[in-house]
Amino acid sequence: MELQRFAYDNRLSRMFLNATMFWGFVGMLVGLTIALELVFPLMSSGIPWLSFGRLRPLHTNAVVFAFVGNGMFTGIYYSTPRLLKTPMYSQTLGKIHFWGWQLIIAAAVFTLPLGFTVGKEYAELEWPIDIAIAIVWIIFGINLIMTMVKRRVKHIYVAIWFYIATFVTVAVLHIVNSINIPVSLFKSYPVYAGIQDALVQWWYGHNAVAFFLTTPYLGLMYYFVPKAANRPIYSYKLSIIHFWALIFLYIWAGPHHLLYSALPDWAQALGVAFSIMLIGPSWGGMLNGLLTLRGAWDKVRESPVLKMFVVGITAYGMATFEGPLLSLKSVNAISHFTDWTIAHVHIGALGWNGMITFGMLYWLLPRLFNTRLYSKKLANTHFWLATSGMLFFAIPLYFAAFTQSLMWKEFTEAGYLRYPNFIETVVQILPMYYLRALGGALYLTGVILLIYNLVMTARSGSFVRFEEDEAPALRTGKISGEKGHRIIESKPVLFTILALIAISIGGLVEFVPMFMVKSNVPTIAAVQPYTPLELHGRDIYVREGCYLCHSQMVRPFRSEVERYGDYSKAGEVVYDHPFQFGSKRTGPDLARAGVQSGPMYKPASWHYNHFLSPQKMVAQSIMPPYPWLIKNDLDISTTNRKIKAMQYLGVPYPEGFADKANAHLQQQAYEIAQNLRDNGIQIEDTKEVIALIAYIHRLGRDIHGGEKVHFSER
Amino acid sequence: MTTVTDKNQHTQEPDYDIDTLTNEKLLSDHEYDGIRELDNDMPPWLKWLFALSIVFAVVYMVRFWAFRANDLYQHKEFEKEMAAVKIKSKSAETFEIILLQDAVSLTSGKETWLKICAVCHLADGGGLVGPNMTDDYWIHGNTIDDVFNVITNGVIEQGMLAYKDQLSEKQRLDVASYILAELHGSSPANPKEPQGELIE
Repeated sequence: MELQRFAYDNRLSRMFLNATMFWGFVGMLVGLTIALELVFPLMSSGIPWLSFGRLRPLHTNAVVFAFVGNGMFTGIYYSTPRLLKTPMYSQTLGKIHFWGWQLIIAAAVFTLPLGFTVGKEYAELEWPIDIAIAIVWIIFGINLIMTMVKRRVKHIYVAIWFYIATFVTVAVLHIVNSINIPVSLFKSYPVYAGIQDALVQWWYGHNAVAFFLTTPYLGLMYYFVPKAANRPIYSYKLSIIHFWALIFLYIWAGPHHLLYSALPDWAQALGVAFSIMLIGPSWGGMLNGLLTLRGAWDKVRESPVLKMFVVGITAYGMATFEGPLLSLKSVNAISHFTDWTIAHVHIGALGWNGMITFGMLYWLLPRLFNTRLYSKKLANTHFWLATSGMLFFAIPLYFAAFTQSLMWKEFTEAGYLRYPNFIETVVQILPMYYLRALGGALYLTGVILLIYNLVMTARSGSFVRFEEDEAPALRTGKISGEKGHRIIESKPVLFTILALIAISIGGLVEFVPMFMVKSNVPTIAAVQPYTPLELHGRDIYVREGCYLCHSQMVRPFRSEVERYGDYSKAGEVVYDHPFQFGSKRTGPDLARAGVQSGPMYKPASWHYNHFLSPQKMVAQSIMPPYPWLIKNDLDISTTNRKIKAMQYLGVPYPEGFADKANAHLQQQAYEIAQNLRDNGIQIEDTKEVIALIAYIHRLGRDIHGGEKVHFSER
Repeated sequence: MTTVTDKNQHTQEPDYDIDTLTNEKLLSDHEYDGIRELDNDMPPWLKWLFALSIVFAVVYMVRFWAFRANDLYQHKEFEKEMAAVKIKSKSAETFEIILLQDAVSLTSGKETWLKICAVCHLADGGGLVGPNMTDDYWIHGNTIDDVFNVITNGVIEQGMLAYKDQLSEKQRLDVASYILAELHGSSPANPKEPQGELIE
């Protein structure tokens, strides 16, 4: 057979590799910053864009989409052409992908600290950036699929299966979860509300973990582990089973993020059942990785690359065992809203994604520069720093989580909460927060060593842009005697369509009843829309990232009902675009903060002083101060558009109310400001804090017999 | 990796390769950029684990939909939990509302004060959002009954919360006693200006 000659262009891999190192450093530095802010709450010194609530989304976005994202593309642009024996379909599309992706990240770096956010975790970026993400992602997908079409290898390898699943699923997840109605260039409201928004968001959030952090990295594992170890893949049959089972089952499991919430029981039950079934397929990936190293364990001792792969794959196995465990309702009752979740995701991020990325970079860069790694010793030091950093991060947080959760739930013999004051449970676990920051610092130090080592390696060699290879042309037509999975492996477009079907089923089965069957969101007659002032206050709550530390979801447990008030109902949040249930309680739940007869209510003057200086009101508080809320005037120029957007989304304000909304707003602001002035606080009606207090005082009020809101003339 | 060729035997040569390190069969025609794949089955224990997890899921869903198992419906779980609590009810024996002077009660009162009341009235009672407790000015009266009542029922329109559901009667009496016996008449660092009527 005649061999065709062609060359791989390494430039895109090199560009993405540089970006991986850079954003990895930035993302982890922001992570360390916010870890320190939890123990030094005054660190942000009243600077809005340095506060925890604004930086935390930047940390998660930078690590997930910038560090892991660029890492994934580095490996995909390197392995795909080699596995398919053809250069990437289009170098231009690749460059557009690269620069588009970096611009998106740069946009995130500016907009998130400025408070431009949709307020949904890992989907915070505002609508213009969302559109850019969709376009760039599809460009990446076209390049991937067209490269497969132009391939010289008849069958596509398992790594590519995972790349395909990544592409189609992330596209679907991102587009469906980001359908927002814009009110200005950097402000929009999600079309979904309350419990429906929560279901869509956690379908997205859970599967972003599955299809952005897991499947592409399994693809990288299937390429770089056998390459680095020079060993065959343990089992092709296992690849087939665990691939299809994983992508089909994963998509159903989103509701496990909403156990014991106001989500209907049937959806929770699906979330539990499908999460348990994920252990096998996930471990299939771990085993195919680890067992591929059989016969090469002597090399593992020697090679920092393989050591990192082994720890990475093992961390994957641990995290994917822990995930289903956390999805059991009895475990979730303890773990949810605690630092357990934070520990769990960092086993995945620091262990699985971090270690696989580092191993891949140490293996790849010397090859791109036709040289040897500058220092194996430094790489080994990095390995130990990363491993111990991960343990120092996770173990204290497990301890903190158990301690705090048990304290939240403890009753005295007389039947009262043992720790009625939330701050006691925070003070108890603060030492663990110090240790966690230490773990993060160790890990980041390792990354600095990596960057130094790789830069020195690159300098000792010279970049090999083109690598020549040769292969026979693609055999067309059927191969006789071929059966089963082998057939679809030779039809990449069909493969893509089948993957799309597999990942669509779970979402559809959960969404259709949730949106079509009315009984899933039982309405509550007393629940009314937010007043214009409260709506603005809610937008400030979202802008400042309050939901990152305060939940708004009282679970149906005695301990929570005692501490916060009546448990949350789906019908309460039907006008919440977006929902604000939160996923972590660094501070107390606020769903009942507006119930005057409840234990969570605080007067307006308390809130005013608390925003100015939380430590003045609660000496040991770890909440940062928010002095700018008291200084800044509320922007009421958008009121009209906001009310109209809400009306468009079906929120029942009276017709024509948008034009009267500011008059209503000013009246309510005057009443709150007057209350503050009566208590000796000098403040004008126009300040942002007034709106935020109005919103907090509305929380939970409607279903506890609070005064009815009048939207007509007052 | 070598191709198996045993020249001493005239039996048919196997048409597949063997991985020399594990002696396992490599799949022919499975080579991607030098990566080969073995023809191994899934480890049996993993097969069993996967099968068992599917059984678990099926049983779980059947218990949910067909048997309506109580532990899978959260409002039923909640009712059960609360029903169990009613047995050891909150209301202890009733007792007289009198100013307590014993050290145990006052220590317990101080503990509650620091934990809860100090948030608004400061640890030394000098007042912050809430009024000063050390001076002779009282908004809602200065008898033990008055103070106990304010703690129990709150004065919500002025920002004072009701603590009847968070503190036992004894705890409320302890803290009321602590206010009148210890805080009142002390000299705080930054006393808030007087509020209410002068009651000596």
